[in-house]
Amino acid sequence: MSRHIGYLFIAPAFVILFFTSIYPVAFSFYFSFFDWNWGNQENFIGLDNYLFLLTDPEFWTVIYNTFVFASVSCFLEVTIGIILAIFVDRIVFCSTVIRTILILPLMVSGIIVSMISKIMFNNLFGVIPYGLKQIDIRSSFFGSTEAAMPTLIGVDVWWQTSFVFIIILAALQGIPNDTVEAAKIDGASEWDITRFIRLPLIKPIIFLVIIFRSIDTLKIFDLVWGITGGGPGISTEVVQTYSYRMAFGFLEMSKSMTVMVIFSMVVFTLILIYSKFEGKSDE
Amino acid sequence: MTNRKRIKELILPYIVSIIAIILTLIPIYWLLITSLKKKKDSFTRPPKFIFEPTFENFIKVWNNDFYAQTIFNSLLITLIGIIISIFIALLCAYGLKRYKIKFKSAFMKWLLVAYMLPEFLFVLPMYSIYQSLGIYDTHFGLALMYQVHVLPFSIWMLRSFFDEIPSEIDDAALIDGCRPLTTLFKIYVPIVIPGIVATSVLNAIWMWNELAIAIGLTFSEAHPVTLGISQFRGYASIDWGGMTASSVIALVPLILFSLFAQKHIVKGLTLGSVKA
Repeated sequence: MSRHIGYLFIAPAFVILFFTSIYPVAFSFYFSFFDWNWGNQENFIGLDNYLFLLTDPEFWTVIYNTFVFASVSCFLEVTIGIILAIFVDRIVFCSTVIRTILILPLMVSGIIVSMISKIMFNNLFGVIPYGLKQIDIRSSFFGSTEAAMPTLIGVDVWWQTSFVFIIILAALQGIPNDTVEAAKIDGASEWDITRFIRLPLIKPIIFLVIIFRSIDTLKIFDLVWGITGGGPGISTEVVQTYSYRMAFGFLEMSKSMTVMVIFSMVVFTLILIYSKFEGKSDE
Repeated sequence: MTNRKRIKELILPYIVSIIAIILTLIPIYWLLITSLKKKKDSFTRPPKFIFEPTFENFIKVWNNDFYAQTIFNSLLITLIGIIISIFIALLCAYGLKRYKIKFKSAFMKWLLVAYMLPEFLFVLPMYSIYQSLGIYDTHFGLALMYQVHVLPFSIWMLRSFFDEIPSEIDDAALIDGCRPLTTLFKIYVPIVIPGIVATSVLNAIWMWNELAIAIGLTFSEAHPVTLGISQFRGYASIDWGGMTASSVIALVPLILFSLFAQKHIVKGLTLGSVKA
């Protein structure tokens, strides 16, 4: 009895996680082989959904959009976040206040960020297009197929750079002082210390941040749903909004589940890479 | 090093920080002042910086029954979600620490996967499962589905707090004849109260801000505040006052809350991998 009591402690978590993760995923996977569209009837159609999607240009556009959004925002957020953290790390005076203000965007939900963007980028009365017009730049942000995606990326960068910033800052501040002191005595400049000592030391954490951000940006939903709804056309449609539209707009339940199954494999691979790394750092 | 170069090195970080602070605050500031503008002041060219502030948007939003209801819904959902996740995570974290569990690392990997997989992978099947179980569009149903994210997170956090407790305490309790559950609730829990508070706050922030799962699993009765805000975002009409005032109301408690969890935010964001 006492040997197995440990499992009793884990059992409730196991049951809940089974019900909320394994069961629905299995359900999705199973129905991706059917042609279910909310009705009472469904027929087994084998791999037809997969073949349909993989040969559908719209699906590939959505995949392309998602990867553009994820890679560009991830790159910008990580770069800007690291640079910002390096600078703030050197600040002694007021550093807590600065940190508190800089992580504010993380508290703002995606839907509120969407509201703010809609107002600030509004073509008629928005403050940003107005400001640009004063210096003779005519702009259209969410209204044009070319500009919508870059603007969306910009909004995400405003929103999530703090995530990278706050973690890298914590990592930089966790570096033992004696390492840095030793280099200083040897006459190394601040920049050299950052480049050759600090950054290499926090490499694992930079890697962790990149994985976290790439998974999160691939999953993007609320910003796109809230600001553009995937438009204009399908120029900003990403996987999760596409799947949502397919299931609740076109009632193509099985196809929508197939989209998520295909897509989840990508996310799953990233998680595996991360957990390999996580396992290493434990040793 | 010349003096000038030295000054430059000292000042540059401040300049960069000030620019970052300004860029961070402008959108939040703009949200705030738009919520305080009268309708005629918000639709002007050029946009008005000086105007007579009014609370009419807030009053209007607050009197909007649907919106007020969503605030209440979110409070209830968040509360249920926290109670379920903290209680179950305490048990689980204790079990993981105290006992030898087979497949422990596989279990931890599963937590990570559940925590990170995209929402619609769960939401689409759950839509139909929930309807047949009769918990579609209920507070409990939504709080239950949120466990896929907050439960792994809480287990992770509490486990890292438990790890700081020396296991001698455990052995001492055992010798004194404490049963495992007594040890957990009488000895462990009081020690990690700050950890429990931090975990609850971070869970609350996540659940309060969640949108994708709520879209899939609620219809109107249990709409949380994120959907309450988005109703002001009409396609034809533009209700800037409603959009901004409802956002501000939802945002203020979060910012106050987050100040409490400041110390633990980094740990939370990285699932305990980085300590601040």
